[in-house]
Amino acid sequence: MSQSESTRRTAAGSSGPKSLSTYLDQIRDNPAEFRTVSRAVNPMNFEVTALLKHLDLRGEYPTVQFNNPLDMHGKPSKFPIVTNLWATRERCAEACDVPRSEAGGQLGVRFAEFAARKIKPEVVSSDNAPVHANVLQGKQADMWTLPAVRHFEMDLGGVLTMGLTARAPGENFYNTTFVKTFPETGYRGGLTIHSAHMSRMLRLWEKSGQRFPVINVLGHHPAFWIGTLNSTPWGDDEYATAGGFLHEPVRLAPSVTWGKDFLVPADAEIIIEGEIGPGSRSVVDPFGEISGQYQPQQFAPLMEVTAITYRNGALFQDIFSGHREHMLMASVPREGSIYNHLKEKLGNVVAVHLPFSGCARFTVYISIRNGGDGQAKQAGIQALAHVPNLHVAVIVDEDIDVFNEEQVLWAVNTYVDPNRDIDHIKNVRPPSDPRGLGSDRLIIDATRPTHIPFPTRLRVPPEAMERVRPEEWLDSAKKG
Amino acid sequence: MEMRLFWSTCPQCKKAFVVAWELRNAGVKLICPFCDHRYLPDESAAIDERH
Repeated sequence: MSQSESTRRTAAGSSGPKSLSTYLDQIRDNPAEFRTVSRAVNPMNFEVTALLKHLDLRGEYPTVQFNNPLDMHGKPSKFPIVTNLWATRERCAEACDVPRSEAGGQLGVRFAEFAARKIKPEVVSSDNAPVHANVLQGKQADMWTLPAVRHFEMDLGGVLTMGLTARAPGENFYNTTFVKTFPETGYRGGLTIHSAHMSRMLRLWEKSGQRFPVINVLGHHPAFWIGTLNSTPWGDDEYATAGGFLHEPVRLAPSVTWGKDFLVPADAEIIIEGEIGPGSRSVVDPFGEISGQYQPQQFAPLMEVTAITYRNGALFQDIFSGHREHMLMASVPREGSIYNHLKEKLGNVVAVHLPFSGCARFTVYISIRNGGDGQAKQAGIQALAHVPNLHVAVIVDEDIDVFNEEQVLWAVNTYVDPNRDIDHIKNVRPPSDPRGLGSDRLIIDATRPTHIPFPTRLRVPPEAMERVRPEEWLDSAKKG
Repeated sequence: MEMRLFWSTCPQCKKAFVVAWELRNAGVKLICPFCDHRYLPDESAAIDERH
C-alpha cells in the first residue's frame, strides 16, 4: 500500500502524548536531519542498509523513512520503515528536550539527571491506547507482514531490532532491553536475550515452569528508548525511567494477551505480544553487531506470538546496527552514568567519552584533575567495575579533550611507560561473545608523570595568542 | 579466555559462516544464512575449529 508522506504526519501535529510521529514532526522539514525514500524497497535484499551505508560513507547521518517497503512475504507492507534516528549526538539531545548546543560532554550528565528523576507511568484504558487501534490475533498475527530488515550479507535473515519489555514473575517492575527477534515463521521467532536483567528474568520464569510473557515494541519516541537504555538496578521500573527522559508519564494500557497483568506502552507504533515456553529454543544469528563483526550462530529462546497490535499509520522502527545510531543510543547515557559514579567515588572527574573507535561500548576515555597518587588507576578501576562491558579505560589529564581522539592518543604516545602505566587485569568476567579482549581488561594511565621530572607540553604564550589575530594579521588571499 | 566458535562451510552453496561452539555437538542442524540449507555440523563441506 502506497501512502504519501503527508498522510503520515500526526493529525494533531506535535501536541498530545509523545510518540515517534510527534518527534519526526520536529525534524522532518530539515533535510540534513530527515530524508524519505518513496520508491519501493526490499529490506530483505539489503536495500535499506545499502542506502544508509552510502550516506554513512558520505558523512551524512539523517533519519531516513522508507515509505514503501516490502514485507517478509515480499508483498507491499503497510508500515513505513524509520531508521537511523540516533545517529548524531545533537538528535539524541533534541529528542530529550536538551538544546543541541549541549550535545557534547555534558549531555551524558543531563541524561543521568533524567534517569534519576523517575516519573510514574499513567495507566489508560485500551480504548485510549493508539497502539490498540488495530489488533491481530491467531493466523492474522503474522510477523512476516512486517518489513523486517536484513542488514548485512551474513545475517541469517530479516531481524526486528527494537526493544523487548518484560517483568520477573511476581514483580511489578518492567525492564526493556534491545533484543533481536528472528522471525523464523510469522508466528514464532528466536530472541537474542543477553542483558543481565533480561537473562535473570528468563531464568526465573523457566524455574517457575511458567511461560514467560514478553512484548516486542517496534517503535516509540526516541526519548522513550534512550530512557530504557540506562543501566538501572534490578527492581527499577524502566517505564518510570523513560518518563524522566520524555518529561511526561509513559502511558500504559492493559495488554491484549494478559490484560492488566502486563501493561504495554499505549503510544508505541507496533507491539508484538508473545510467550517463551520453558526451555524452548531456536537457532538464530549470524547478525552484524555493535562490534562491527558478526555474532555467531547460536541458540536463543523461542517466542510464540500471541497478538500484534499497531496504531493507525504506524511506523516500523529499525536500528542500523554496528553504526553510529547503534553506538550513540546507549553510549551517551553510559557516559553520564560513569561520570556520576566517578564523581561520587573520586570527585576529580572532568569528562567521560565512549569513542566510536571503541564501538562506543568497549573503550572509555576519562579526563581527571590531579592524576597523581594513583588517582588515574583508581578512576580506571571504578569505571571498569561500574560498566561490565568496558574493556579498556584510558585516563588523561584535564587539559586533554576526551572528545578529541588525536589528543588522547598523543597523551598515550608521549606519557605512557608500558611497564608502569598499563595494567592488564585477567579473567575479570566470562566473555559473552568473542569480540575485543574477551574476559580481560586494560587500564592505561596516560596522565603526565608526576613522580619524576618530566617535560611539559608545548605552548605558545597565551599573551601572544591573544595579541596576534589571524584575521587582522594575514594578508588577504588576493595578495598572497 | 575467548568464547570458542567455528566456521562452517555450507555443503550446498559452499559459503562459510561463523557458529558458536555450543552448536558444534548439540545434534542440531545449522542454518546456512546464504541459501537456508539445513545440515548437521559434521556434514559441513569444511570446518575451521582451530582453538
